[in-house]
Amino acid sequence: MNMRQMVLGLSEGAPPTFDNFVPGRNAAALAALAALGTPAAADRCLYLWGEPGSGRSHLLTAWRTRHAGAGHCHAIDDVERLDAAAQIALFNLYNRARAGDAWLLVAGPCAPAQLTLRDDVKSRLSWGLSFEILPLTDDEKRAALSNRAREHGMPMTPEMLDYLLSRARRDMPSLIALIDALDMFSLETKRPLTLPLVRELLNQNQTLPL
Amino acid sequence: MSLASPSEPDTDPAATGIPVEFWARCTTQFQAELPRQQFETWIKPLKLGNGSAEFPPTEIELIAPNRFVQQWIRERYIGRLESLAAEYWGSPVRVLVTHVAPADTAPRTEPTLRKAASAESVVPNGAVADAGYAKTRLNQEYTFETFVTGKANQLARAAAVQVADNPGTSYNPLFLYGGVGLGKTHLVQAIGNQMIRRSPDARVRYIHAEQYVTDVVRAYQKKAFDEFKRYYHSLDLLIIDDIQFFNNKNRTQEEFFYAFNALIEAHKQVIITCDTYPREIAGIEDRLISRFGWGLTVAIEPPELEMRVAILLRKAESQGVVLDENVAFFIAKHLRSNVRELEGALRKLIAFSKFHARDITLEVARDALRDLLRVQNRAISIENIQKTVADFYRVKVPELFSKKRTADLVKPRQIAMYFAKELTSLSLPEIGESFGGRDHTTVLHAVRKITEARKSDNQLNHELHVLDQIIKG
Repeated sequence: MNMRQMVLGLSEGAPPTFDNFVPGRNAAALAALAALGTPAAADRCLYLWGEPGSGRSHLLTAWRTRHAGAGHCHAIDDVERLDAAAQIALFNLYNRARAGDAWLLVAGPCAPAQLTLRDDVKSRLSWGLSFEILPLTDDEKRAALSNRAREHGMPMTPEMLDYLLSRARRDMPSLIALIDALDMFSLETKRPLTLPLVRELLNQNQTLPL
Repeated sequence: MSLASPSEPDTDPAATGIPVEFWARCTTQFQAELPRQQFETWIKPLKLGNGSAEFPPTEIELIAPNRFVQQWIRERYIGRLESLAAEYWGSPVRVLVTHVAPADTAPRTEPTLRKAASAESVVPNGAVADAGYAKTRLNQEYTFETFVTGKANQLARAAAVQVADNPGTSYNPLFLYGGVGLGKTHLVQAIGNQMIRRSPDARVRYIHAEQYVTDVVRAYQKKAFDEFKRYYHSLDLLIIDDIQFFNNKNRTQEEFFYAFNALIEAHKQVIITCDTYPREIAGIEDRLISRFGWGLTVAIEPPELEMRVAILLRKAESQGVVLDENVAFFIAKHLRSNVRELEGALRKLIAFSKFHARDITLEVARDALRDLLRVQNRAISIENIQKTVADFYRVKVPELFSKKRTADLVKPRQIAMYFAKELTSLSLPEIGESFGGRDHTTVLHAVRKITEARKSDNQLNHELHVLDQIIKG
């Protein structure tokens, strides 16, 4: 049990990048994000929002990593949690970005107008480009998981995918972590990937915060 | 002061004897009847023009400094003016209100275009002026020409133009207030840009209040207050944005107090913006607040539908995008609270159309803005309006539905109906139904009454302003 928890912990360490993000219906948002910080950008600021698990933090981290060397690229996640002082800092940062001195990527749980922040910060966030990051549909998740499993060299049957999608948490980070864990579990136990193996891992990990 | 005061008849060759005396008495009368600020804004700038030659005159002419004042006088004061004139001469006199040649309404050449035009044009973005211009911290895109005017901001714009034309002598300070994203920064920077255009050597500084606070702290740490003072006291125009950021910053307020006094005394222009009107600012010393009212205090209101459409069309044009009016109307109808939101939506629509290589049609706009609009529509419900208004006036929601007609209930009830009409797409009968089964004519009456009352009742107007912001979240 301990070992398996560790296994899951390890798999969560995979760094979020643009490559391991499944676009789904977010192609336009991804295009805007890819442009942010480059001369191709239509705007200096971009706001992404979406429900938990939709992938906004993933994208934020991926962008931050890509522009890690650039001091004028700023990414702020969970904007709704900023305290009063941090909101003012964001306000100033936004103005700097508007003036062309910085690039700004902000993510939050809802559309700018719905945020419980200072009005002047809120309206500024709604000024720039904003996109809702839409979570993948079940079919898209199925395709994404299947791809991920194939990359690990362990093709999954539709039954296994159905089983995962009906029993586990269905946000992508959890599902991807699960595929990675299945891979490790299969290697450790030296058993091929089968539905019983999937079932066994899931049952054993029910206590995990997956 | 470029406008001859009526009490100095020798400066006005057009005036002859009796009308001049009449006008002097008339202004004294208005001074007694009107709050000082209104007098200063509307009556004082008027200049006596050529009237009819006969005695007693059948008409006299008053010249307003601009079309906006002209219109305002015609709408509000013409009756009083004519009755004072009739009283003075004992026979009816027509009062004509004209305005001076509209120098400020003719579009001026954009700085970029002017650069090539003449040698004297040391313009904001010209190479010569770059370093100096950068110090102003102005954004050259913010000009009067790029400012879309409508009912909601025409008063503010007229005041800003006045100040730009007569810095330090017309309205000082100019205190501009309004909700977020309505164009305060644009307008005050337009004044700065205009001033630089006229006199490239003018020492103009735009600063956000938050930055000013930081500068005070820095001066404090470096013990560099002398330098700080010398700089701020030497300006020809100081624009300080979002002064509400000064709240409870005592040292900042003190420094600003000195700077303010020095500049005003030297007839240098001070311009202040704020998210609320002076009396409502929290955590600011009374001595500052009272000074804010020395000049002119003017509001920017949220833009009405036509203006929102105009903003979208203008903005699209500036980005080289042809926006169909129907599409502009569609966006403007759904996004009501501020200009930034409109611009954000437009930005998104353009990005969407480029990405999918689709022309901007109504259908594409619906697709592109679906997520934003869905949120908007969800946000404003009649229940939300009723609750917000009831809370604001400390009454209970069910009391709004009751048949009671006491003054403390009638006002919030009418205001809630007004907002229900303005902010939802419900029909009048539906709104009446939601207020305890009232007739739609009751709703209509309420809407008309509030619409009318907010024009003349500043307090009410302000309350509506605040409510509007709360309801829209």
